[in-house]
Amino acid sequence: MARIQLENIKKAFGKVQALDGITLDVKDKEFFVLFGPAGAGKTTILNCIAGIMMPEEGVVKFDGEIMNLVDSAHRNVAMVFENYALYPQMTVYDNMASALRSKLYKTDEAEIKKKIQWAAKIMKMENLLERLPSQLSNGQKQRVAMGRALVRNPNVFLMDEPLAHLDAKLRNSMRTELKEMQANLGSTCIYVTHDFMEAMALGDHIAIIKEGKIVQIGTGDEIYYMPCNEFTAQLMGDPEINIIDAEISGSGNALAASFGINGSTVTYELPMDSGVYAKIRDRQLKRADIGIRPQHVKYSFEPAEGYFKATVYSYESIGNKSVIVSDLGDVRHSQLRMIAPNGLRVEPDSDIYIRLEIDH
Amino acid sequence: MKNNKQKGLNILMNFLLIVYAVFALFPLIWMLLISFKSDTEVFTTTFIFHPTLANYQEVLLRSDYIRYIRDSVIVAGGAVLVSILVGVPAAYALARYNFPRKEELAFQILSYKFAPEILVVLPLFMIYQKMGLYDSYVGLIWVYQLISLPLLIWVVRGYFEDISVEIEYAAQVDGYSWYQIFFKMLVPLIKPGLVSSALLAFIFAWNCFTFPLILSSNKVYPVTVAIMKYLGTDSAHYGQLAVASTVSAIPAMVFALCIQKHLVRGLSFGAVKG
Repeated sequence: MARIQLENIKKAFGKVQALDGITLDVKDKEFFVLFGPAGAGKTTILNCIAGIMMPEEGVVKFDGEIMNLVDSAHRNVAMVFENYALYPQMTVYDNMASALRSKLYKTDEAEIKKKIQWAAKIMKMENLLERLPSQLSNGQKQRVAMGRALVRNPNVFLMDEPLAHLDAKLRNSMRTELKEMQANLGSTCIYVTHDFMEAMALGDHIAIIKEGKIVQIGTGDEIYYMPCNEFTAQLMGDPEINIIDAEISGSGNALAASFGINGSTVTYELPMDSGVYAKIRDRQLKRADIGIRPQHVKYSFEPAEGYFKATVYSYESIGNKSVIVSDLGDVRHSQLRMIAPNGLRVEPDSDIYIRLEIDH
Repeated sequence: MKNNKQKGLNILMNFLLIVYAVFALFPLIWMLLISFKSDTEVFTTTFIFHPTLANYQEVLLRSDYIRYIRDSVIVAGGAVLVSILVGVPAAYALARYNFPRKEELAFQILSYKFAPEILVVLPLFMIYQKMGLYDSYVGLIWVYQLISLPLLIWVVRGYFEDISVEIEYAAQVDGYSWYQIFFKMLVPLIKPGLVSSALLAFIFAWNCFTFPLILSSNKVYPVTVAIMKYLGTDSAHYGQLAVASTVSAIPAMVFALCIQKHLVRGLSFGAVKG
């Protein structure tokens, strides 16, 4: 187990700058999540840590020791590849045993058997051990790939979207299992995902990656409640956060934000005790984009005090709740998402009355 | 009604196949028949004759035929061996690494097969005479690379390209060195392609006629050229010629039959696809 540090890693593929000055510090025994949209460079970071790719600039350190010139075999990392990378000619059992049978990490067969059975039990695949990878479904292959990493005792686990191809139920149970396993094994783990639920649930710390740069690093709560910019805010949370153009008016201590909606203007007072309030006041901003999470948008189907009128754009169920998307007319961010219970009868284009809980 | 139609179609198909089989096999059968005829009967009989083994005795026991076969084995086998040793790493490099003019190089290798043998063999004759490669095993093995190497490289390259590079990464991370990865992980995956292209290359090299005809004479005498010996200047021993041809065709046929299934699959399917 080790502390992993990256300092100013740069890596380019031809003209594309895949990583542009990545600096990370993953503490020993930490569960660290790399989170970002597709093509952000998450997998490249893992490859640099594993020694599969050489960064053009920057330093990779394990426990303070510079590893740039150590080849991947000697770094003692276990990696789960996104496309599984199982050896097609070997059975599941031999696949999982391959690392423990290499010269470097030689283990005796009885020990290997014990470990594989332990891993297979966690992954719920004891019945698959004699099969070849071509006889497995994608979800099963993914579990084998996970199992192949788990049987080892590495410096760090590198996991590249290891749950992406599992079915929802198994994914949830594996997520819990994974977190507990990592805590029990006391291992450092760097985990790549583009599912924000996974990132929030698993990560001790989360790094948001965009276009080869780190946007923000923090705990899940920090990133959810204090996103440093619109990009992070929009990435975290489902349904996505609402961003609304607002004009700031008022003077002195009483500031208000006005939104143009359907031609009319709706004004809310800004809460005075928040940090954002102080910033807006100090800089004397006149315009701001205000983000408001869907669960803080209240709605009613009857006209009510303090509610403004909009039309329903769509109503869709996302499982235990539903999302109403409303249309605010001819403004820049015209769609407002809000959370509603299931089972409502909502017709598109019907009227809806909305209040923003800006002082939550 | 439908059943009858299908049955009729089946009969027609089989009939056509039989016609084709007779057409394709007749020369071979004819050769086999001649090999059992005495010289006097070759032109006077068709199917009814007095079978004799005299031709076989003459060719196999009283001439250097075994030596010719041995030369063929050495030259064709050596050519395939060299092709494997050179071609597999070359195919790996062409599949995995990016270097300037890669595709041009690959095409250049393929283009060796385009040139008609008779066209290149005359300049090669001059060069071989000067270099002392004329009439030597090394010389023939070398020139056979024109036949076997492009085939092997192109087939095996496709196999390497089908293996996802992550498999190599995974093996690296698992603690294997490059050579271990190559022999433990990659070679088993390219084996079908390697075996089928190597055997095909062997058959092509075995059957090659133009190169040994011009580039070798007494010391190295592959069987394809040796067969001509039985066409003497004064008399043509068609019976013996047929025996020599029949026996020389046996290895190629045996190989082809053994790997028939492998051959079609190996050349047309990738390694990793289930």
